[in-house]
Amino acid sequence: MDLTPRHEVEETEDVRQLIHRRRRWAILAISVVLIAALAFVTAQGLRNATLFFRNVDEAIDQRADLGTSRFRIQGRVIPSSVQGEAGVTTFQIVHECAVAAVRHTGDPPELFESPWIPVVLEGRWVEGESKTVAGADSHYFRSDRMLVKHTNEYASANEGRVSEKPPAGFLDDCSFEVPVDSS
Amino acid sequence: MPESMDDSKMTATPLTRVLGILGIVAGVLMAVLGLFISPPDVVQGEAVRMLYLHVPSIWIAYGSFVLTSISSLLFLVRSRRREDGGRHYDRIAGSAAEVGVVFTGLTLITGMLWGKVTWGTYWQWDARLTTTVLLFVTYLGYLALRRLPADPIVRGRRAAVMALISFINVPIVHYSVDWWRTLHQKASLSVGRRPEITGEMYWTLLYSALTVTIVGAWLIVHRYRVIRLEEIRDEENLKMLISSRRHERPTGSAADGEVS
Repeated sequence: MDLTPRHEVEETEDVRQLIHRRRRWAILAISVVLIAALAFVTAQGLRNATLFFRNVDEAIDQRADLGTSRFRIQGRVIPSSVQGEAGVTTFQIVHECAVAAVRHTGDPPELFESPWIPVVLEGRWVEGESKTVAGADSHYFRSDRMLVKHTNEYASANEGRVSEKPPAGFLDDCSFEVPVDSS
Repeated sequence: MPESMDDSKMTATPLTRVLGILGIVAGVLMAVLGLFISPPDVVQGEAVRMLYLHVPSIWIAYGSFVLTSISSLLFLVRSRRREDGGRHYDRIAGSAAEVGVVFTGLTLITGMLWGKVTWGTYWQWDARLTTTVLLFVTYLGYLALRRLPADPIVRGRRAAVMALISFINVPIVHYSVDWWRTLHQKASLSVGRRPEITGEMYWTLLYSALTVTIVGAWLIVHRYRVIRLEEIRDEENLKMLISSRRHERPTGSAADGEVS
């Protein structure tokens, strides 16, 4: 605790100035670290937050503009379309009745096996014939990073409500039928 | 040690002891409910149990920051009218913010662990995660500001203004999942929306929220009292130092120290 000087006025003043300088530097250092942290977090947030992913229908509409650039695409996995071998998984994702074929390299997260799970994939459009439940397509999506986007719906596993059927109303307006995996 | 310190050196009262015991008992029951009695989720399996700690933690953090903001506002408005200069409100604001930061940190940690199991990654810079870490950092800054040496009233005013600015982020964090596309799922429970959680899980979540609220309240009360005790200690030390200085004056040179 800093009180008034006793006898050696000059020396105490020096000490006081030293303490004051150190405090000033400490305040400055803390401020710089905090401002840098805030700037970093805000920059990251602004860059990614507004458009974290494109839904399948948007990614197909914007295919010409996207070209071969890397982006994230989001859709629900059609369970009957999943096939995997030698570290490559192929499947189809759907959103708003738009379907994209996907060729994913790498191990999918554990929850990928859940029927109709929404996923966010990182990758790019690649030119190449593909067949989806909605018909033939001139491109497929090549991904090397998969994130499972689970919903805020929670249900007891004891009730045995795992279903291969799409979520209620999800494909009602679509012009195609999705085969149900009987396996 | 001065007598006044002896009289008030404990932070507990019979009421807070009851609250503490209630918190421990409720916590044990929460662990039993969350880990053993509530069922696994149909999609997430056992990982869903993280819900019972993750979601209540951020609710309590929000509540603590609301308390910090209200107290800060009262400090700014009423500090001149109160005998203690409004330091009572300042103490509430500080203790609530500390508890809020602890629970925000807990939310981030549990969220990262939960995310690794469900999303397949510990971290993504999506809107919810980004704004939450921003919330954590800004309130850490608020706590750092409170530690800077200054006159208590001046420091209280600076801290109160920063608390009110920091609070702007709370609704942004909460509604980020609605305003932007995020990897994070929508809010588990919202006012005016039917919960998407089945019975046992729903009640376990509400019970966990109640338990974490009790623990949070207990922490805030004790932290408030610790801050008050620190102030009493500093005041007593200052009095002792001033008193010892007065008695230090060399005998026979009374005129040296006199102020004309």
